[in-house]
Amino acid sequence: MSLLQLARKPEYKILLAGLSIMLLSFVNLLFLEEVDFLNSYAFKQTLWIFVALVGSLMIRTLRLRMLKDISIPIYIISLILLILVLIIGERISGSKSWIKIGNLLSFQPSEFAKIALVFIIAKFYSELGSYSKSYIVKYILGLGFFILPFLLIVIQPDLGSGFMLFVIAISVIFSFSYNQKILLAVVLFFGLSAVPIWNYVLENYQKERIINFVNPEGDPSGYGYNAIQSKIAIGSGKILGKGLGKSSQGKFKFLPEKHTDFAFSVWAEQTGLIGSAILLGLFAFLVIYPLSFLSKIKDQFLQVLLFGMCSYFFFHFAINICMTIGLFPIVGIPMVMFSYGGSSLLCATIALAVISLILGDHQNYETLGV
Amino acid sequence: MAKLSRATFSIIAVSAIVIFIFLRLFYLQVWVGEKYLSISEHNFLKEILVPAPRGEIKDRFGRQIAFSKPVVNLYLKPNTSEKLEDIKKILRAVLNLNYKTLNKINVKDSDYLSKRILIKSNLDINQIYQIENALERFGSLELVVDYLRVYPYGQVGAHKIGYLTTNDERDLLYGSFLATRSGVSGLEKKFNNSLQGNLGSRYLLVDSKGKEVKDLDAGFEKKTTITKKGQTLNLTIDIELEKLIFDSFGELNGAAMVHDINTGEILALISKPSFDPNLFSKPISTKNWNQLRKDKSRPFLDRAFLASSPPGSIIKIVTAIAALEENVIDPDTKLYCPGYIRIGGRKFRDWLRGGHGTINAKQALIVSSDVFFYQVGLKLGIKKYAKWLDKFQFGQTNNLPFSQNPGVIPSEKFIKKYLNGKWYPGDMANVAIGQGYLTINVAQASIMTSIVASGGKIPELSVVKSNKKPVHENLKITESTLRVVQEGLLGVINNKKGTGFFARDDGKLAGKTGTAQVISKDARSYGYGKYRNHGWFTAYYPYDNPQIVISVFAEHGSSGGAAGGPIIKKIVKYYKKNYLKGDI
Repeated sequence: MSLLQLARKPEYKILLAGLSIMLLSFVNLLFLEEVDFLNSYAFKQTLWIFVALVGSLMIRTLRLRMLKDISIPIYIISLILLILVLIIGERISGSKSWIKIGNLLSFQPSEFAKIALVFIIAKFYSELGSYSKSYIVKYILGLGFFILPFLLIVIQPDLGSGFMLFVIAISVIFSFSYNQKILLAVVLFFGLSAVPIWNYVLENYQKERIINFVNPEGDPSGYGYNAIQSKIAIGSGKILGKGLGKSSQGKFKFLPEKHTDFAFSVWAEQTGLIGSAILLGLFAFLVIYPLSFLSKIKDQFLQVLLFGMCSYFFFHFAINICMTIGLFPIVGIPMVMFSYGGSSLLCATIALAVISLILGDHQNYETLGV
Repeated sequence: MAKLSRATFSIIAVSAIVIFIFLRLFYLQVWVGEKYLSISEHNFLKEILVPAPRGEIKDRFGRQIAFSKPVVNLYLKPNTSEKLEDIKKILRAVLNLNYKTLNKINVKDSDYLSKRILIKSNLDINQIYQIENALERFGSLELVVDYLRVYPYGQVGAHKIGYLTTNDERDLLYGSFLATRSGVSGLEKKFNNSLQGNLGSRYLLVDSKGKEVKDLDAGFEKKTTITKKGQTLNLTIDIELEKLIFDSFGELNGAAMVHDINTGEILALISKPSFDPNLFSKPISTKNWNQLRKDKSRPFLDRAFLASSPPGSIIKIVTAIAALEENVIDPDTKLYCPGYIRIGGRKFRDWLRGGHGTINAKQALIVSSDVFFYQVGLKLGIKKYAKWLDKFQFGQTNNLPFSQNPGVIPSEKFIKKYLNGKWYPGDMANVAIGQGYLTINVAQASIMTSIVASGGKIPELSVVKSNKKPVHENLKITESTLRVVQEGLLGVINNKKGTGFFARDDGKLAGKTGTAQVISKDARSYGYGKYRNHGWFTAYYPYDNPQIVISVFAEHGSSGGAAGGPIIKKIVKYYKKNYLKGDI
């Protein structure tokens, strides 16, 4: 089988899209700094890409059946890591979110928890599906699995990851246990609880972030600063971009977190609308293409799993881009695979491998009758 | 069905959001991309302007007539991650700025991030020391040295020096600098190009803290304009002499000029009343401006060049020379001069009721006989007289860099144009003693006296020092004529009958007084209040080896001798003390 034929297969198409994003990420990071390659983020990202590829290849050798079996262990491991990080975690800028492995690598358990949550919900929904149609049970079950890791993440505190977990959980739960009344009740609940949450739960800096999201120009040198600088970076790229290595916003440190949260901003500055559209297109493909298989998949575990993984990709890239273009508050959410970050890259490749596995093997899975 | 709709719904929702994001990117990068590009350039390219001091104006001894005094201003460049509140706290602590001032410091315009906001101008030395620390902490604070034009002698000679006005080319980054103001009158205007320095600009590559980033090979072009100080303008003026003259005028208004006969260099040139050019070195207050504008004495009028008045008796110098040179009379011709003479049935009076008896030209100059020169003028005729007035540079402007009123002489052209070609003996008689259709300014009076003193040389006047040797054109006046006039002028001051006896000093001053009538001698209010006559006094010194010419014009100064005499005496005393130390 030639490479071209291989690339035509759905499972490889999706891997190819993911790999392309990683490659662009590498290019972006490579031109961002002027330090020795061995000390650069680009180099570290390369290491992570290899680790991730090995991990995803291991997953690709799994049988689909095994995915369902490892759901519970994955979830439990994720909870253990989340508790562990609170004990031995490294406190970086106020949050205990990282477990340091040696000097080079550090790991963020909250990333892993997102994947794990999708697995556990998928497993229980599929098993519940055969004997219970009750929405309430599904809701309670879904929220039950969600609430534990959510609380553990929020007390780190890592609001961004907590928010992402929430969005992914909600999208999966509602997609597979849809009920208008309850949806309405949930919307109402959050609507009504917004005031007490604003008054008693949110920290001042979080309130300021939200205020500045609404009106970033109000205080350009204060908290709205990042939002403005990000828009300046993206806008100044115009159609063709300033050229690789010519990101003035990034180089002169106008943009903070340019490797992670604002990686897209410097990419758009360097490559313009062309570059940002290519990246946007790759992510859109990564999400929409697998979703188009959803109706062909008969097994509910695989459906929920596939949907959850797509949700994981979609919300990460959509919220991150919206953050950089001033459509969403700056909440510290990286763009999976494109931002620098080992654990998110690792988890993303797991998700990628899972999607690829489902797209390639779902028919066999059915015919095998398992 | 439910499964299908779930997939379709998700795909539609995702596609919609992706399209929405794309549209937003299109808006940012294409629709308003240019704006963001310009902002991003101003973000990292910090333009710093360095004002240049205007060149000094110095007098002949190197004393400063105008110079640029550095003033230190504090600006805010709001384009960093620094919090405005923190900066305000520091400013409040260090500069004692009150809340009202601080509240005015607001940053709204994110469109033009290189723009500076002036926080405080003219910091004193203590404030500069205290703000130094804050400067290190906050890259957005910037001290800029601007220059204020200072005229230490104020009103003295202000018309000649001129003043500044705001430059139309307002600087977009800093508002307007004092150093970029440009000359609007006098020498400040005439030599504006060389006096004005070059506003320098530097572009620094800075990071978000405002700190300079060095050796960043990113291919950014640095454009730099070097700050260049304006050139010094060296004048022939002796500013202390000017001050002496200006002060000597006391209550009087008018103009005076002193020049060196041999070089044509002007030592002093003043006009009074005057204005303080320092007022225009920064935006002038409405109150001050209105006060100057409404002043009835018209302080902006340069009486040395722009006011042209009848010369009165000082013109008798030209009348005498013309008559002698045209052989209408000779040095020994004597004419009878009673208290009046009838011309065309009208009485033309002498200033002295009893008259002067029978006198020659020299004697007539000494006593300033009107009747003698009425007769000489009538014999001479207007054509010849006008020719000599023209030879003496009346009715003309010279090459000095000032706006000038050439005045009027009764030339053929003038008579044709304004008098319908009619010229009566009465007109001739009047003009011959310096009344009627003849007006001159103080510089023209000085040129006339200079010609007499130098033996016929028309001085090439200058006010700016130069190495060029002046070329004085010679009128070639006969020796005997010159002797009559020179001796006459010596007598004016040193003879007991002389009209300038007031100014008598060491016997070496020669000159001529004059009184320009404001209204007719026959009018009732003649000689009083605002109808008081203008006084003229033009002289040269020393008689045996003429060095300087002094001319004084005193508005409503009654007679030239009374008003100008004391002033001229002071000038001569100063000149002897400061210029002729070894010679006398």
